[in-house]
Amino acid sequence: MDYTFQYGQVWPYLPYMIKGAWLSLQIAFLAFCGGMLIGTVCAAVKTFGGGFSRHAVNAYVVFFVNTPQLVQIYFLYFALPDLGIFLSSYMAVLLGMTLNAGAYLTEIQRAGFESRRQSEMEAAEVLGFSRLQQIRYVILPHVAKVLFPPLSNHYILMTLGTSMAAIFGVEELTGRAFNINSETFRSLEVFSIVAVIYVFVTLFASVALALFGRFAFRTKMRVV
Amino acid sequence: MGSFFGELWSLATYHNILFLAKGALTTIALSAFGCILGGLFGTLLAVARLTSGWLSWPLRAFALLFTEFFRRVPFLVTLMLCFFAFQFGGFDVSTLTVGCVTVVLIGTAFLAEIVRAGLQSVHPNQWHAAEAMNFTLLQTIRYVILPQAWTVILPPAFGFFILFIKDSALASQIGVVELTYVGKVFNNRGFSAGVSFGVILLAYFMLSYPLSRLGAKLEKKLGTSRTR
Repeated sequence: MDYTFQYGQVWPYLPYMIKGAWLSLQIAFLAFCGGMLIGTVCAAVKTFGGGFSRHAVNAYVVFFVNTPQLVQIYFLYFALPDLGIFLSSYMAVLLGMTLNAGAYLTEIQRAGFESRRQSEMEAAEVLGFSRLQQIRYVILPHVAKVLFPPLSNHYILMTLGTSMAAIFGVEELTGRAFNINSETFRSLEVFSIVAVIYVFVTLFASVALALFGRFAFRTKMRVV
Repeated sequence: MGSFFGELWSLATYHNILFLAKGALTTIALSAFGCILGGLFGTLLAVARLTSGWLSWPLRAFALLFTEFFRRVPFLVTLMLCFFAFQFGGFDVSTLTVGCVTVVLIGTAFLAEIVRAGLQSVHPNQWHAAEAMNFTLLQTIRYVILPQAWTVILPPAFGFFILFIKDSALASQIGVVELTYVGKVFNNRGFSAGVSFGVILLAYFMLSYPLSRLGAKLEKKLGTSRTR
C-alpha cells in the first residue's frame, strides 16, 4: 500500500469533466422525457385499453423490465446495423435508455392511474367542473402527489444509469473519465473526482426535486 | 430469417450451452452474494443510523456518508474505483473478487436504506414501549422491531436482488465472466450480434421473470398478513 495520490495532474481537467457532467444530465433528461411520453401512453393503454393493445404493452413492459439496460443497448448498437439501421453511439444509448425508462415509467404511472377514484370525479362533475377543470383541479393534484416521489427517484437512478454510455464511446462524465485516465494514468484520482461530481449532481437534483414536490404537490419528500 | 435460425442452431453446441449456463450461474452468484453480505452489513448500518446519544455520532456520520455516497455513484464508477484500488494497493486478485467487493459495497448502501425504512415503519409507540421496559437498542430491534418489520423489508429487498441481477451486467466491463461477457465472447467468435446478444437477453429474461413473479407473489402474501 505505497500509493501516493497526485491530484495535481488531474485538476486541470476539471472543466472538461464538468462539461461531461452536463452531457450526462442532458442524456438523462432527454431519456426521461421520452420515457415519460411512452410511459403515459402505455399506462393509459394498460388501464383503459382493450385486449390486444393491453397485451402488447404488457409484453413490452415485461421484456424491458426483466432484461439489463446494458444488453438492450448492446443489441441496439451492434445488432441493428445487420438490418441496415445505423445508430450513432449517442443515439443508441439515448434510444435504449428511453425504451428502458418507458417500461419502468409505465409501471410507475399505472399506479397513479389506478389511484384516481371514481367518486372524486363524480363529485367534481356535480360541482359543474368541465372535463379539463376536472383533470386540472381534481385528478392531477391527487395523482401528482402519489407519482412525484417514485418518478423523481427514477430520474436520479437514470442519471446514474447514463454512465453506461461510456461503454459505447459517448463522451459524457464517465466517458471523459476514461479519456483522462488513458492520458494521465492517474486512475484512482480521476475516478474519485468523477464519483464526487456524480454525488453532487444527484444531490443537487434530489434537493431541487424535493423542494419542487413540496411546493407544487405538497409531497413529503426527504433528501437524506 | 433462415440464416438467423441456422446460426442459432450452430450456436447450440454442448460447450456453448455449458458456457452460457456458467455465465448465468456467475450472474446469480454475484447478485446473491452482494445481497446476502450487503443485507448483513446494511442492517448494521441501518442500526448504526438509529443510535442516539452524542457518543455514537461518528457511527451515524459514517453510516450516512457510506449510504449516500454509494447510492449516488454509478455502478460503473464504483467498479472502476474498486478495480484500480486493488491494482494500486498491490493485491493480486481475480476480477471476480473485484466484482464481488463492488457488489457488496453497493448492496450494503441500498439495503441499508431498505432496512432503515422497514425499521422506521414500526409505530413509534412500539419503540417507546420497549424503551420503557428497559430494552437496549439491540434488544428492541431483535425482539420488538424486526419481528414486525421483516414483512416490510423483504419485498423491496427481493426486488433489489432482481434489479441487481440486471445491474451486475456492468461487471462484464472489467472481465468478470458473467452472462453479458458470454454474449461478447459469442460475438467475438463470429456469431452475429443479433444472435449472441439476443440469446443473452433471453437468458436474462429467463432468470429475472420467474423471480419477479415470485417477488410479486411474496409482496401480496406478506402484504395481506400485515393488514390482518
